Amino acid sequence: MIGPQTLVFLLIGASILLILVVVIRPSVTASREGKILAFLALFIVPIVAAGLGASEHIERSEQTQFCLSCHIMEPYGRTLYVDDSSYIPAAHFQNHRVPADKACYTCHTDYAMFGTIRAKVEGLHHVYVYWFGTPMHPIRLYHPYNNRECLHCHSGARSFEESPTHTAMMGDLKSNKVSCTSSGCHDTYHPVDKLDQVKFWKPTE
Amino acid sequence: MLRNLRVSGILVILGLVVEALSLCWNNAVSFMSFVVVGGLLFVSGILLFLYSLVSLNTSARRLDATVETRH
Repeated sequence: MIGPQTLVFLLIGASILLILVVVIRPSVTASREGKILAFLALFIVPIVAAGLGASEHIERSEQTQFCLSCHIMEPYGRTLYVDDSSYIPAAHFQNHRVPADKACYTCHTDYAMFGTIRAKVEGLHHVYVYWFGTPMHPIRLYHPYNNRECLHCHSGARSFEESPTHTAMMGDLKSNKVSCTSSGCHDTYHPVDKLDQVKFWKPTE
Repeated sequence: MLRNLRVSGILVILGLVVEALSLCWNNAVSFMSFVVVGGLLFVSGILLFLYSLVSLNTSARRLDATVETRH
């Protein structure tokens, strides 16, 4: 079975070969068939190849490895291995409550309409600030964390729905009036400033 | 027209090569090189190709008009 990356490489190769025909022998475009070939070689096939390549890149940008490839995110990656279940990201990551290979994206994407696109645009903004601006220290979210992102998974889950605390304030949680993360209930996230004081979990191979 | 076609072909090839290279790594630098370098080369190649098509059409129409006037 051909994987998406192989398909992109094959298409890029085919596209380059077709373009080379037109570049080396541009006289082929004198005929009607040659014009069709040039249109396919220089427009249709490259656009399909670039589209598939972009889709592959976007898919990869959701991976934990991608987020942590920026030096500034390294301490945040380390906090996922903190050996203390009171830290929400570490508990979610280590217990596979979020997919380990998409840990950052799963919690920090936007589950609203066009949320994925908004998340990508914000990701591009991160890269812009990282290279051409001054990254904030410590890093803060652009907007307050929305309960919608938690409820995307937890809503309907038995342990969540049957908790008397959650039941008592369900309306406020769903309408985002009471924040899951900053109302004093689940406010322990990435202890980047305490990395020298915490113990780390080492996953068994 | 032929020169434009060649240049646009080379630009698109370079864009596709950058795209292929960027797919060999999975990090922010490869993503940005795909978007910025690859995208710029690719889009300029495609636009130049489309421009050469349009300019060819325009010159063909001018030629037709000249022939009709002579007749």
